[in-house]
Amino acid sequence: MRTASPASLVRDAHTSVRRSSLRRQLQGIVDGKTDASGLDLDDARLDAAAVIENMTRKRSMQSSTVQRLVVAFKSSGVADDVVERLAARSPQQRVQSARIVGALRIYEAVPWVAGLLESRDRSVSDAAARALGRIGGASSARALVKAINRKGLNRRLVAELARAAPDLFVETALGEPQPQSVRPALAIAAGLRRRRAAIGPLIGLLQTGSRRERVISCRALGWIRATTAAPLLADALLDRDWKIRMSAAKALGALRARSARDDLKYLRIDRNARVRKAAEYALGRLG
Amino acid sequence: MTRAPLEWNRPAPGRPVLAERRPNEGPKRTERPAPAFHDMMSRLATLERAPVFFSVQEATLRALARRLRRVKVAAGEMILYQGEPGDTIFFIERGRCRVVIERPPGAVTVALLADGDFFGEAACLLSRRQQASVYAQTDCYLLALDRQSLHGAMTSREPEALDELQKLADQKQRTFADITVQATWGLLLHEATVVGVYSPKGGSGGTCISLNLVGALSRRYPGEVLLLDLDFPYSHSALLAGLVPTSCLARMSSLPQESFEEVLLSAVLYHAGGPMILPGALRPEEADEVTPELVTRAIAVLRKSFRYIVVDLGVTITDSTLALFDLTQHVVVVTAPEMSAVKSAADALDILVQLGAPHDRLTVVLNNRSIKPAVTKSAVERSLKRPVDVEVGFDATRPEQAAVEGVILSLTNPKSEVARGAEALASLLDVKHSREGAEAVPAVPPGAGGAEER
Repeated sequence: MRTASPASLVRDAHTSVRRSSLRRQLQGIVDGKTDASGLDLDDARLDAAAVIENMTRKRSMQSSTVQRLVVAFKSSGVADDVVERLAARSPQQRVQSARIVGALRIYEAVPWVAGLLESRDRSVSDAAARALGRIGGASSARALVKAINRKGLNRRLVAELARAAPDLFVETALGEPQPQSVRPALAIAAGLRRRRAAIGPLIGLLQTGSRRERVISCRALGWIRATTAAPLLADALLDRDWKIRMSAAKALGALRARSARDDLKYLRIDRNARVRKAAEYALGRLG
Repeated sequence: MTRAPLEWNRPAPGRPVLAERRPNEGPKRTERPAPAFHDMMSRLATLERAPVFFSVQEATLRALARRLRRVKVAAGEMILYQGEPGDTIFFIERGRCRVVIERPPGAVTVALLADGDFFGEAACLLSRRQQASVYAQTDCYLLALDRQSLHGAMTSREPEALDELQKLADQKQRTFADITVQATWGLLLHEATVVGVYSPKGGSGGTCISLNLVGALSRRYPGEVLLLDLDFPYSHSALLAGLVPTSCLARMSSLPQESFEEVLLSAVLYHAGGPMILPGALRPEEADEVTPELVTRAIAVLRKSFRYIVVDLGVTITDSTLALFDLTQHVVVVTAPEMSAVKSAADALDILVQLGAPHDRLTVVLNNRSIKPAVTKSAVERSLKRPVDVEVGFDATRPEQAAVEGVILSLTNPKSEVARGAEALASLLDVKHSREGAEAVPAVPPGAGGAEER
């Protein structure tokens, strides 16, 4: 077993002390006791972004904590420095800055953070996607859709799109002409958002989309608990494509659609093992 | 190297300047597509039609217009679903939407929205769940403004306007809740007494008296007293009570019979102190839409839902006013102790008697607008050939101050002369029109009125 050297222990302790100091300083800003003029967010070892993220986690952009931090950062020029470091050469600095911008939901910085989605460094583009997801709004969602179009279906981007998209953004985009890679991503995002307004566009996709789009829309309808789509999903159980049959079975299980019990029983003798397994799972959910 | 501080809060030209770009360095900025000129004009026109943006500066409006997102929704499609979180305000550019509160086993349509209306503001501004579902009744062209864009455009420029927007959202949410209760359970079984407040000469304080009468009555019957403002061409009662109107009676003129009741009730504004207000028209040109038929239809509907309907009839006698005289159970004539006002009041009383209004259903209110009246009370009574039923003492600048602050004196300051006069008038009406077996709720003690709670 490797033991840490005394020097590294001292260094770690020193970093912990500085991190505590930063936390107290930020708390002072939130309490209105101090301003952000003396803040030092440069030190990579300090991981200031993590401290700020911890303070603003599960708080909306309207919360007083976030608002006070943002005002203090903007008025003291710290926010300018953070945004400037989005252009730093070091990927760590860009990641740190993107995380801080995301944690503070600095909406004005969206165009600059969106540029980082093009970075070849995975950690930078992921941090930018997370930041856009946290900031939210139509601009962030548009940037994420562009990135999906460029990079293809990417889990991180789709998850953050679901988080960032405002009401009716994904639903409208589903009804518009889209590049091949974007529409499935939008369908997944619609499912992840679990908004009932997406049921109509997803049903449309289930009826007229490509094979991949139909598979995804089945699952998305299940996630949304779209009981009105149960008859269409039951029809999809008879599709020639095994993936569509499988995802329709899973969706009906999620919907607990008892009306589809007989169709699902029939699927237990399907020629595809994965469809059979999905049917068993769905019947288990129906009880 | 010293760097000049960057301007985060610079209002124009719309795009924030965040950091100095060095050549060949730094992240690429993704440009927001700027709307075309005609598109921008159309967006601005839609925003300007929303009453909540009346007072917003043009620079802020332009910033908001740039951030709007166009959304087309087909007829019958769901736009928002009750109970879900939301982050966007939708402005209707073209089309009609139905706002429905789903309360199993049924659903209640609480509003029918048309061009220029907006919805989704409670979820967006107050971070509450959607209070109602919204469906597109026709193909709808909407402009969507998400929370981030709204805050981005308004927080730095006009934080007060954002507060106003939040107030309006709260007010609308409470109105919807009240209407649902009424529509679902049908609690109010009796029909309302309609009281017309007529002031033959402008400046006699007719609107002030009617507003304070409604306040005094609603202290006895909270939530059961409505002020219908037909003081055309400028119906300002709602604004004087600190409420922001979003719809009015005039806009109901083309509604089909089946949705008339729901939409009419949804246009009623709810004041935290108890009274409810329905504006007649929001714009001068809309006054022509208020026909005698529309007034009769509206009164027939409103009578089922309220205990008292006080109608501010304004100054002019129109076809609508005459139709309303037929529907009223009581007419209050407001006059000031001035020669011209007294002469006009005498003529008006003659006309009312000729129209068949019984003497015991006519009340004369003498409103002293100056500390030394030009005509004494006895001279007024001689001219009118009838006694003054209620005299409102001179109240200094309190009525004007209340109008500026958007408060109703009978709710906030029961010791003021106007409030006392309104209280006396309310007692008089209550004696003449009280229902058998109906127990009035005791008046709220002074100082405990709800208007301050807002």
